[in-house]
Amino acid sequence: MAREIMRRSASDNKYLHRDFHASLNLGLEYLRRRFGDESVREYLRQFALAFYAPLKQALREKGLDAVKEHYLQIFAVEEALDCLELASSAGELTVFVKRCPAVAHIRAGGAEVSPLFDETTNTVMKAVCEDTPYSFELVSYDAQTGASTQRFFKRRLGQ
Amino acid sequence: MISCTEFIPAYSELFRFLEQKGGEGAVLDFWEYLSSEGLGLLRDLVIRHGIRGCYLYWSHTLNEEAADFTMTLDEEAGRFSIQMHRCPSKGRLLECGHIVPYRNYCGHCDVLYRRVLEPLGYRYDYDLSACGHAACSLTVEQIRN
Repeated sequence: MAREIMRRSASDNKYLHRDFHASLNLGLEYLRRRFGDESVREYLRQFALAFYAPLKQALREKGLDAVKEHYLQIFAVEEALDCLELASSAGELTVFVKRCPAVAHIRAGGAEVSPLFDETTNTVMKAVCEDTPYSFELVSYDAQTGASTQRFFKRRLGQ
Repeated sequence: MISCTEFIPAYSELFRFLEQKGGEGAVLDFWEYLSSEGLGLLRDLVIRHGIRGCYLYWSHTLNEEAADFTMTLDEEAGRFSIQMHRCPSKGRLLECGHIVPYRNYCGHCDVLYRRVLEPLGYRYDYDLSACGHAACSLTVEQIRN
């Protein structure tokens, strides 16, 4: 019968708990089944407006470079920079995700991915663009891999 | 994609959203659902390895979450404990600055694990009294007749 003690400091490990992707997926499915599809979008919008307020502010101040930095940062931390391509032109940024690390991890664990998982990009990025000079469009999304094409572009007057 | 490193604020906001929808009961219902659907690994490890299953489970999660902790397993006494010196989740929420943590954020740790461990014959004690400073402790003890 063993006695074991493990002592760790925060600096001993990298903060990367990929199972949190599965937890978020469970949360979205709970909301969808219990309260309906619209509640998932409502929740994600509310979350995005609160948590990504600094990103929204940076988008207003720095333009699309702020969005580019955000994508580079989250794909770097997910150790998935090879899944990301960014293309910039005047007033427009196109994001190509070849494979979504979140979807890959959820599937690797044997779980079904929520049919609304794309809203973690679509609703979230639309909320980030609200009340800024920019708009967001999820141009394409592959539910199997999470591969997507996303477009941020300068809003025309009246849009 | 919401990065897994941004999940904790999303989790906290989900609790708040559920409370807006259906009060505290809706939050509790969700925690019970998570306990049933999301903690199969803890359940399986404890069924297979007894009290050591707790050590195996939290060795994985707390290291990936870069927690600051001391974890103790005493198989002879049938006892396992975690002293969480700095919870990475609550700590991040407190440091975030521009969002307010859900008022009972730490309550989920009480409900989720208790619902797995007590039916398997373990006593689960969770001390939340220092959770305002992102610290807590939990003890799991095998109930012996």
